[in-house]
Amino acid sequence: MSRQTRALSTALSASLALALLGACTTQEGGSDPDRREQPGVATGTIIGGLPKKGGTLTVLSNQDFGHLDPARNWVMPTMDFGTRLLYRTLTTFKAAPGDQGSGIVPDLATDLGKPSKGGRVWTFKLKPGLKYEDGSPIRAQDIKYNVERSFAPDLVGGPDYAQRYLADTDGYTGPLQGKHLDSIQTPDERTIIFSLRRPVAEFSYTVTLPTFSPVPQSQEKGVQYDLRPFSSGPYKIKSYARGKKLILVRNPHWAKTTDPVREAYPDQIVVQMGLKGGQIDDRIIASEGADASSVEWSDMQPSSIAKVLPRPEVKRRLVAERTGCTDMLALNTSRPPFSNLKLRQAMQYAVDKSAQVTASGGPALNDIATRYLPPALTGEGRSNSAYGRSTTSHADKAKKLLAEGGKPNGFSTTITVSTGDKTRAEALQQSLSQVGVRLKIQTVDPSVYYDTIGDTKHAPDMAINGWCPDYPSGSTFLPFVFDGRTIKEKGNQGNVSQFRDKAVEKRMDEIAAMSDAASADRAWNDLDIVIQSKSPAVPLLWKRKPLLVGDNIAGAFGHGAWTGQFDFAVIGLKDPSKSKG
Amino acid sequence: MIAYLVRRCLGVAGVLLAICAVTFIIFYLLPADPAAAACGKTCSPQRLAEVRHYMGLDQPLWRQFGDYLVGIFAGRDLGSGPHALHCGFPCLGYSYDNALPVWDLLMDRLPVSASLAFGAACMWLVLGLGAGVTAALKKGGLLDRTLMVTAVATASLPVYFTAVMLIYGLVRISGLLPYPTYTPLTSDPLGWATNLLLPWLALALLYAAMYARQSRSSMIEAMAQPYIRTARAKGMPARTVVVKHGLRSAMMPVLTLFGMDLGALLAGAVITESIFGIPGVGRLFYDALQRSDQPVVLGVTLLAAFFIVMANVLIDLLYAVIDPRVRT
Amino acid sequence: MAITLNTSTQADPPVLPEHPLRSTSRKLWSDWGTRTALIAVALLILTALTAPLLARLGGWSPTAFDSRAIDPYLGGMPRGSLGGISAEHWLGVEPATGRDLFARVVHGAQVSLLIAFAATAIVVVAGTAAGIAAGYFGGRVDTVLSRLMDLTMSFPSLIFMIAMMSVAQDVNRVLLMTVVIGVFGWPGIARIVRGEALSLRHREYVDAARVAGSGSWRILTREILPNISGPIIAYTTLLIPGMISTEAALSFLGVGVRPPTSSWGQMIAEAVTYYETDPMYFLIPSAFLFIAVLAFTVLGDALRDILDPQGGRS
Repeated sequence: MSRQTRALSTALSASLALALLGACTTQEGGSDPDRREQPGVATGTIIGGLPKKGGTLTVLSNQDFGHLDPARNWVMPTMDFGTRLLYRTLTTFKAAPGDQGSGIVPDLATDLGKPSKGGRVWTFKLKPGLKYEDGSPIRAQDIKYNVERSFAPDLVGGPDYAQRYLADTDGYTGPLQGKHLDSIQTPDERTIIFSLRRPVAEFSYTVTLPTFSPVPQSQEKGVQYDLRPFSSGPYKIKSYARGKKLILVRNPHWAKTTDPVREAYPDQIVVQMGLKGGQIDDRIIASEGADASSVEWSDMQPSSIAKVLPRPEVKRRLVAERTGCTDMLALNTSRPPFSNLKLRQAMQYAVDKSAQVTASGGPALNDIATRYLPPALTGEGRSNSAYGRSTTSHADKAKKLLAEGGKPNGFSTTITVSTGDKTRAEALQQSLSQVGVRLKIQTVDPSVYYDTIGDTKHAPDMAINGWCPDYPSGSTFLPFVFDGRTIKEKGNQGNVSQFRDKAVEKRMDEIAAMSDAASADRAWNDLDIVIQSKSPAVPLLWKRKPLLVGDNIAGAFGHGAWTGQFDFAVIGLKDPSKSKG
Repeated sequence: MIAYLVRRCLGVAGVLLAICAVTFIIFYLLPADPAAAACGKTCSPQRLAEVRHYMGLDQPLWRQFGDYLVGIFAGRDLGSGPHALHCGFPCLGYSYDNALPVWDLLMDRLPVSASLAFGAACMWLVLGLGAGVTAALKKGGLLDRTLMVTAVATASLPVYFTAVMLIYGLVRISGLLPYPTYTPLTSDPLGWATNLLLPWLALALLYAAMYARQSRSSMIEAMAQPYIRTARAKGMPARTVVVKHGLRSAMMPVLTLFGMDLGALLAGAVITESIFGIPGVGRLFYDALQRSDQPVVLGVTLLAAFFIVMANVLIDLLYAVIDPRVRT
Repeated sequence: MAITLNTSTQADPPVLPEHPLRSTSRKLWSDWGTRTALIAVALLILTALTAPLLARLGGWSPTAFDSRAIDPYLGGMPRGSLGGISAEHWLGVEPATGRDLFARVVHGAQVSLLIAFAATAIVVVAGTAAGIAAGYFGGRVDTVLSRLMDLTMSFPSLIFMIAMMSVAQDVNRVLLMTVVIGVFGWPGIARIVRGEALSLRHREYVDAARVAGSGSWRILTREILPNISGPIIAYTTLLIPGMISTEAALSFLGVGVRPPTSSWGQMIAEAVTYYETDPMYFLIPSAFLFIAVLAFTVLGDALRDILDPQGGRS
């Protein structure tokens, strides 16, 4: 299903989700007494124990990777694959399940970076003795070169943090024509200094992104670098037939002694692409032959849930880690009906969130969202919902608000969703009809979904919009989704609600300027509640990522930093001899 | 004959040009903006403009089309500076999605679709013609009725239904076959065949049913011709009559059908490839469409049209060789 | 089934000239296979026409969710055996939503048959008009139209239909689908009609009409068209199963009708991964599609054998 690819690559994906606090492991929704045990293995569990070195790990996928070129890799789980196996970054996430995985450790760098000038200048030192796959040394200049590449109009799609944070980059179009940035200095081969346009307290996290991995200028192939990134990680590409098969073998020049996170257990990693989703599930459930040493890349199909949950021996092999993203129903505040605050607030009560859960695979794979910031960004119990934690709709409250908003008999409205969210839109249609709101559904192909809802003149009244935080703070969430100054006439993304509120924008600027991360964190949580009261969107779901592993797999867990995808740094096999070489 | 060939070739070129133009216009009307899709989520308007320029999307339609046509023969450059990509004859542009030349992508996927098409074609020809000719010779008998009822029923089953049932029966229940994972013929001939057996069967059953019906009626028609009756009356052995005279003339309409079907299948069986997860041209097309990867979509369409047109030309040539009157 | 008609119809040449309509229907009714097909077709059309009524009889609208009929903890699998078939839901429910399958499949019949019939109508009208014009007028008209037929037939039609369906987003999907399917179908029938018209052009009665001063229009409609209506009717019926299949294929590929509208192909596409966990969900729309295609094929075969026994089987 390449649809999911698109949906990922343009929306949720663009971000680096980060599980920060213990909220990840605790369950929400105490109001649902019917709740059964947790799906799959509990958060924080590692499936299969400690892997043994060797063997072939197979990854079964229904799609190809978007971009493996580190300057262009910003599709959520692909960043996991790239940075854990093929290229190292200045810092990286710990290889640990649950909340521990949200911590970062130095990777190529010797520490998490030294800020100066109040966080405007960041200096990193590289470890000695780092090598590429051909044995040549990894230099600070190569990291600078790759950051510069992310400015090139040919090499699009990657993280844009360099464009956003670096000083003096106006009009810069990349190093392909021989121009270089002055805001990155490399006084010697092991030192790199970034000058930023404003203080960025969490820049240590920024440099976990693949943009901050090394690419030597001698290996530059423009857009075709994508086909064979030059490895600085534990594996290198043996062959890559796009859309068919990728084979990774060990990079002999990678040294475990320099690497605090990557274990590189398997000798070889094979990615089979373009398979059918349901067939991947069946193969891994059966776990015969090489399939026992396989993991799935794409989500388990909803239809397979009934094959997995009732069977304990299969359920033991299911990971369902939180994606760390929030799914929202964006209300178009720029025109009637949702320019009316009361009508927007009525939607908070009218939407039946439990129907949303069912339509997305059931409570086993979803939690009901009660606020905008995902649990990973809020302490447990710290941020509250302005509308309570109800799971079903409150028709009476909704009707009261509708009456106050001057529409006691409801109104007609429109929603645009991508074809994959069809059932969810239909569930919305159903629950809104209970309070007299008539919803007209327009589905569009995933490939044009964001263009359609991003055209502000023709935008629908409602749209389903997901956002994953880029950082362990609200600064990578709320300003992207609710800052009115980011609205573009066409190609508008993030602030799909077209929510403009001077007070909220002012507060956002104030919080961004805070130097203390903890108080900024609290401030973002308070701002979340303020925005909720203005109701530009209805929080719907916090989804989980369901993934199955074969029964010869060890060391598997969903990593919170990459929307719950397996951590490829430490995954391996129980018995390498069982995998086909 | 030469003049005839030249005329046909010009016709082919005209048809391909027309198809190319229609496809181009269709995709020009597409609401998706490939530049915005490539640029990503937080693309600034200025960067979007740069990307659009880089992809050549800021040019007017006629100009883009002209560049495309010229590019096919003369080649084109993508991008600028030292890392610009040159794409030589026959240049169908570069995939927006993965920066590979469309021609290379097509040639990479074509063996897969061809494996699928030729394997299935062998099966359906044997099954379909066998059943059709047998039924025709036993016209009205129980065997005829059984075969034709089976054929009409099989032809009414959509390929995606047959495919799922085959997977269920041969993979899930009995475990006789593996889940199809394409293996190239050159690396492992046995693996190639076992992995393709399921999709072959799924396609072949559908086509065999159609061919059984078609060949039965042409065979009956042929056997009713006066010269067959004459041959019979002259006491020629029944076998010789059927094979030498009946089959030969009955096969002409079947051949026409076969050329068209094979031509269409070579450029990808979209549904079959997608349901079995086979990385052929059809799958390439479907994925490209989902990502508004216009150059790839255009390339597949042209390839498909090329095969269909060529199949037509070959059939016509065959007729022309047999019957010189066609050439005039 | 239908094939056996060949023998039976040839066996009894009509003694008295019968009204063609009556003789045709009598012949159709005489074979049990065709009779069954005729009944199936009639029932399907009736179902499609009365879909809202039938759904109301079943007690469920095709878009109403029934959360009680599904188990949310099992990914929304229907409660009960056989995909939730019960007195309340006659054919069970859709997983994850609990929508009534009977209501959906019956409404699906409406959409599938409407598109198939409308597309067939476009094809027949356009094909007949082009075929007659090409065959009767000949010359330049024939050349141009024949070229156009060749060109249209060279289009990789399924690929083009998929592309066109995904391009147009804002238009009425049913209408668009009808037109898109229709656009690629006309050359087939046009060639047959052209052949027939060509052979009729210089028949005596046509020449007679021409000498008597009838205009082209009058000759076409009064003399030519009635004489080729037999094959047209037969091939029209034979076109329908192909149209139903094409609509289903496009919907299966996800470029068909918009939700919450249901069509058979779209229902099968959604059910395809459930073939093991909820087989009824997959089998029910498949069975409807199968029966519809089969019934129209059998009927079409029979009509062709009756109305156009010598006809060129392309």
